[in-house]
Amino acid sequence: MADEFDLMLGSALSPNGREPDRLFVARVQARVALDERLRAERRFAIRQLGIEVLALAAVAAALLWLMRAAPIASFFAGSPEIALTALLALFASLVLLFSRPVEGRGIRA
Amino acid sequence: MAEQNEEDLALSRRAAAGDSASFAMLVEKYERPLRSFLARMGAPDPDDIAQDAFLKAWRFAGQYDGRARYSTWLTRIAWRCRLDSLRRERVDEPRDEEPASGHEQSAEVSDMLARLSDKERAALILCEGHGWTHPEAAELLDMPLGTLKSCVARAKTKCREMWSDHG
Repeated sequence: MADEFDLMLGSALSPNGREPDRLFVARVQARVALDERLRAERRFAIRQLGIEVLALAAVAAALLWLMRAAPIASFFAGSPEIALTALLALFASLVLLFSRPVEGRGIRA
Repeated sequence: MAEQNEEDLALSRRAAAGDSASFAMLVEKYERPLRSFLARMGAPDPDDIAQDAFLKAWRFAGQYDGRARYSTWLTRIAWRCRLDSLRRERVDEPRDEEPASGHEQSAEVSDMLARLSDKERAALILCEGHGWTHPEAAELLDMPLGTLKSCVARAKTKCREMWSDHG
């Protein structure tokens, strides 16, 4: 049978019967919304990275294939400075392409 | 499955599908006991831990299967969050917690709880205050049922002695 101590302990340890804390609920909802947004941005960034890596690989493969063609290989063998200039120009254009602002293709808040 | 579990399971499934309003209903329903438990456990930042726990409950909402009560499942998550938080802060000693209110009895109970070990305190709060069954508490605290029962009895005896000494 419950004595005075048991009653006191049970009442002191039970969660009090207050109304739900709307501010706390709102804080949790804000964190959930932020978490969702960050996850969406992460997914978007990973997808973009995948696309860009694929694009780079495709360009590199195409270049290799071109360089192995007999007329181009013999031309570049005769004038390596032109080959170097072409490669530098290609590299610069790739840098410009991938470092352009991403405005309009990002995730909306 | 209890009716309450079914209702919570339905809300959790809707949350898993991205329905944040359903999840807000679960937060409204369970924030009070969870924060009360964490505060009673003497967590230095009970609201932060409760928020972390709710965030994880949102992320893993699809994993709640309704076999246990939602409050039990949620408290398990919060318990792990609290252990992580303690590990991060390297706090091993029981803390002198702030009383939940200015009430004299509440301060006295807080003082008694602060003298118990972490597991004794958790077992006592859950079984005596939150109406958890012994098997539920044993699972949360990762101890055999018999050990849990003795742990609750020991904690209660210690508190009774402190109460008698005080009175």
